[in-house]
Amino acid sequence: MLLKMGQSGTAAGWRYFVRTMAFMSGYVAVNVAAIFGAFDDIASPMAAWALALVVSAPVVGQIWATLSLMRESDEFVRAVIAKQFIIASGMAMALATMWGFGESYADAYHLPAWIIYPLFWACFGVISPFVRSSR
Amino acid sequence: MKNRLKLLRVERGWTQEQLGQALGVSRQAVNALETEKHDPSLDLAYRIAVLFARPVEDIFDNPHA
Repeated sequence: MLLKMGQSGTAAGWRYFVRTMAFMSGYVAVNVAAIFGAFDDIASPMAAWALALVVSAPVVGQIWATLSLMRESDEFVRAVIAKQFIIASGMAMALATMWGFGESYADAYHLPAWIIYPLFWACFGVISPFVRSSR
Repeated sequence: MKNRLKLLRVERGWTQEQLGQALGVSRQAVNALETEKHDPSLDLAYRIAVLFARPVEDIFDNPHA
């Protein structure tokens, strides 16, 4: 639904699309640079934490873009986005919790904490087609 | 919430897009109202009533009556 908002031609939808592309391009650019070793030589803990902060900042920006879309949309769109967000958040938290306890008790493979963000959007993509009502 | 919004809209020859523009909401919102997937806020219900020049209860069934 959120991507459809960007394609719907409404001013709010277009602003959301532009904001999302801006924040996600930053997120992807830093991660691609990291994959290709651009930050392999970082030695100081301060610089390493600064890098972590830079990579996570677009996540905050993306949440702001979503809240802006809700603020600028009508009551139906706002209610549906909120419902989708809550369900996707719950699913992502439940899956992350299950996996975390799997690591603790079942010797499951360790997954990095940052996976929660792509996991949330994956959950959002899965549930969105089925959440079309505000009720 | 059961309503006669689609009937009133079609009587006037309006599309969902046109009704949405008149009400200041999206086409999706009009569609959701017509298909009972969204219960309007009091504010939106009154806007609809003013647009069609009818009391709210002529358009939306009162489920508590």
